Amino acid sequence: MAKEKNTLPRTGVIREYDIHTPGVKAGLVVIYAICIVMVIVSLFPILWVLLAGFKDLKEYMSSTAILPQSFDFTGYVKTWTQLDIVKNYLNSLYVAAGSVVCALVFNGLLAYGLSILKPKGHKIIHKLVMFSLLMPATISIVPLFMNIQRLGLGGFFTPLWLQCGASAVYVVLFMQFFESIPYSIIEASRIDGCSPLQTFFRIVLPLSKPICVVIAIFAINAAWSDFLLPYLVLGNGPWQTVMVRLFVFSTQQTINYDALMRSVVFSMIPPIILFVVFQKKLTQNIVTAGIKG
Amino acid sequence: MKRHIGSLAILVVLCMLLAACSGNTAGPTVEPTDEPIVTPPAELAAQSDEVVDADLTCTITLGNWPADTAPAAELALFEGYKATMAKQYPNVTLVPSYYSYTLSNYISAAKGGTAPSIFQPPFTDPQLLISQGLAGDVTDALAEFGVLEKFSPAFIELLGDENGRIYGLPREGYVLGMHININLFEEAGLMTEDGLPMYPTTLQELAEYGQIIKQKTGKAGLVFPASETYGGWLYTNIAWNFGAVGENALEVQQEDGRWVCNFTSDAAVAAMEYIKSLRWEYDILNADATTTDWAGAHSALGTGEAAMNFAADDSVDQPTAGKGLPVDKFALVPFPAGPAGAYALTGGTCYMFAPNLTRDQAVALMGYLKIIGKLPFLDDDIVAGMRADYAAKRERGAPVLPPITAWNDEAYNAKKLEIVNEYSNVDMRLYNDFFDSLTDGTISLKGEEPVFAQQLYRELTSIVQRVITREDADVYKGLEQAQQSFQEYLDDEINK
Amino acid sequence: MKRPARRRMPGKGKETLIAWLIMLPGIVLFAFFLWEPLLESMRMSLYHTKNVELLEFVGFDNFISVFNKADFIQALINTFSYTFWSLLIGFLLPIFIAFVIGETARSKGFFRTAAYLPNILPGLAVIILWTAFFSAEKSGVVNILLSKLGIAPKAYLSQAGYVIPIIVLVATWKGAGATALIYMASMAGINPELYEAAALDGAGIFKRVRHIMLPAIFKLGSTLLILQIISIFQIMYEPMVLTRGGPDNASLSLMLLMWRYAFGGSMDFGKASAVAVIITVILLAFTALYSVVNRRKTDWE
Repeated sequence: MAKEKNTLPRTGVIREYDIHTPGVKAGLVVIYAICIVMVIVSLFPILWVLLAGFKDLKEYMSSTAILPQSFDFTGYVKTWTQLDIVKNYLNSLYVAAGSVVCALVFNGLLAYGLSILKPKGHKIIHKLVMFSLLMPATISIVPLFMNIQRLGLGGFFTPLWLQCGASAVYVVLFMQFFESIPYSIIEASRIDGCSPLQTFFRIVLPLSKPICVVIAIFAINAAWSDFLLPYLVLGNGPWQTVMVRLFVFSTQQTINYDALMRSVVFSMIPPIILFVVFQKKLTQNIVTAGIKG
Repeated sequence: MKRHIGSLAILVVLCMLLAACSGNTAGPTVEPTDEPIVTPPAELAAQSDEVVDADLTCTITLGNWPADTAPAAELALFEGYKATMAKQYPNVTLVPSYYSYTLSNYISAAKGGTAPSIFQPPFTDPQLLISQGLAGDVTDALAEFGVLEKFSPAFIELLGDENGRIYGLPREGYVLGMHININLFEEAGLMTEDGLPMYPTTLQELAEYGQIIKQKTGKAGLVFPASETYGGWLYTNIAWNFGAVGENALEVQQEDGRWVCNFTSDAAVAAMEYIKSLRWEYDILNADATTTDWAGAHSALGTGEAAMNFAADDSVDQPTAGKGLPVDKFALVPFPAGPAGAYALTGGTCYMFAPNLTRDQAVALMGYLKIIGKLPFLDDDIVAGMRADYAAKRERGAPVLPPITAWNDEAYNAKKLEIVNEYSNVDMRLYNDFFDSLTDGTISLKGEEPVFAQQLYRELTSIVQRVITREDADVYKGLEQAQQSFQEYLDDEINK
Repeated sequence: MKRPARRRMPGKGKETLIAWLIMLPGIVLFAFFLWEPLLESMRMSLYHTKNVELLEFVGFDNFISVFNKADFIQALINTFSYTFWSLLIGFLLPIFIAFVIGETARSKGFFRTAAYLPNILPGLAVIILWTAFFSAEKSGVVNILLSKLGIAPKAYLSQAGYVIPIIVLVATWKGAGATALIYMASMAGINPELYEAAALDGAGIFKRVRHIMLPAIFKLGSTLLILQIISIFQIMYEPMVLTRGGPDNASLSLMLLMWRYAFGGSMDFGKASAVAVIITVILLAFTALYSVVNRRKTDWE
């Protein structure tokens, strides 16, 4: 034990030399206990819904046991096919893919203009973007919805894609990153005869890979999770995303709760996979950049 | 005009009931078969394979397509309809949609251009949709199919505009009653010698029986969906039975045309006190009434977590086929009478269509309605469609009951009843009291409150939630507050 | 953190034009999705509306009507309640989590990951999940677990006093780990020599927390505090799905009230916009406060 402690450096308030007093040792035990409780609180609900999905309606309504009577996958298979979840997965995938492109290109270009090109008068736009950072988008969902209807954009993904191109958070993240790029590199590319736009796609964007990854993950996650605007835009049309489907499903009068729990599981699986794959990158980048999703 | 529609609709529904129930005999009990069928019912084979219109080319989106939790038999039935449709109208593309109508989801769908071509709103909404330009005109297609002349005046008023254009067809009517889980009545010893449940016929009995059930079984006596607008909806029926009708009605139009609401009459207060007592004195309600909706109520009754549920004859397949209660353990009984009367809320649903419907789409939709047996004719297609419908009901374990049909056509209604009896899978003794009460005068049918019913329900639901969550809640004060708030709403909206 | 002052690109007119053209798509999108709707809702709030059309100018009638309704007063009171609980639970918990995880050495990465995981789950799924958790029917997990500790079952979602803390708790469950990560970054940035020096001076662990760690995260904390208050005004779908604003409007938020006016059946976009404008005004006040705090922050630097 003592050896292991020495191999992992302590980075908090409690330093190596504190460990020797019994009070601090007990304190550390408490800290680990709290951490373990926290892990349980984080993971138990997810585990529970997974288990609840194995119950049928009668068992779900009447049983107080956490574990299902049997691990029978027929319920999952049934809900999977009944909800036609593959179709909704694909729709969500389209939304996510388009959102990533829009989020990177439009926000990136705007940030490029605001932090590198800085044309005359850019400060106004900068102020407006900072202001938007503090105004939740939901607040103007009513007129936005009406605008979308007036332009006849309802019923398809277009507004959802484009919406990702107007995110103040992403613009600010890009700007922070772009400002750390040495100006000499940009000037060099200019001297080589690149237009500002070429500079952006050939020099700035490739150099900004770390922030692009973070923004891409955020955009995918946001596109996957959002349901209010998608619900208003896509409604009951053929392009329902997973979350719209779940929202509509959950408000149906004929819903069965066991099936609802299973559809919750289906909606959680892709983000969890995404998270497991990119977990290191994400948590580290967030820690270094000090930003929130 | 609006307030006439309600009463006319009731009148029509009542006429149909008389027609439908006069020939009513207890059908034989048929055991539901165990094997789920995945092929369309054999009855559909009788539908004509001949091409009706090969030139008709369009796409129609069909709302209320069975999906999600739908039993295989129901799905197969609609697949069968789809196959017939493909034969009769080879160039019409059917797009199934799981859409189920609510006013708010329809408005956003219609605005967004994603409204299904056909959907099923309740009788309370057609006029609103028509006036907002959110409904499709099908007058010509109806005429083409010869259905227009079978419309009774009440429905022309319900589904038409001032120019005589028609935007929909009646689908089905319903009457509010009470669903019973017989298992829990058995457990509580509330059975007659004939083996029928001893169900409460008055609201007072409901409280007492519920208490017995709760004590004997530990399950809720009554599941009371009190979320969103449901609580207020049920409250209105209870209030009527306490005497909130006529002069004391919840909504009254004064002679000068002004609408006033009255939630503070003795009757209205007594009804709310009654609901309060169900929670605090008798304690028979389900634990989470304020978050319970229809799905929750049907689930509770169907899985044996509650013994009684205020619900109508059109949702009997929910607790049975939907949530797993065997049909022989389910009964439908009249809404309990109150100290001042015995009313039962009645209403219905209709078929309506998306705005900007083309002529071709309208015709294709009529063809579709004919195939699914919803047009008032007695040709082979329709009879086969009806048979298939009832066969599928029986297969999936939903009670096959005499319908409250919306067409004023005696031969048609009689034929329908004949088919019902043929496919009956229930002991009609568990339903007769309900259907008899509609015709023998023990129950008076009453439509929803005439104006802005949904808003009325929302205001009243708040108070229902208050009295069942707070023992010290002041009923009169609460109702007074709701009355003031709803009156302001009325003044804003129509008393200008 | 001083960056070298950047020269503006030479070339003047044409360069400026090109730069604006490059920014144009982004600006158009911002205008379409955020700026114009905000202005539009101000205009709409002054009109009587039917569907998407503005029928007649009614001045402040919509506001007066909204103000006079009991549900608005209730929503406003609820907002204070949301604020109180979210400061009590939602603000302090992430700091605590960050501190606790920061003090671990082994399995730190695992703890961090586990704490962050709920944040990536779709909000709607999380709410449906917790609705099932707090249900008072047999399947309600919270009651099942508490009954093992001998606590009698309660209908948590049916009690006015519980719904708001529960909604805040659920939001915290989802978001606390992500916020904690930001605090961890800030805590990790503290120079360890400060601790060493303090320890040499005989400062115990609590003194080090009090005099070194807390001051170091104070600025970040005050920023996040205001962001959190702002986020309270966005609460909408949580009560919409969890309690439908009930019981008796006990969890109704201003944003949900706006949604009800617009999409709850009455389609009153004018009054919905009036509510939106009221929220905007409140948020503007907080934004002003935020920029004051921000300025003070930079002053200290």
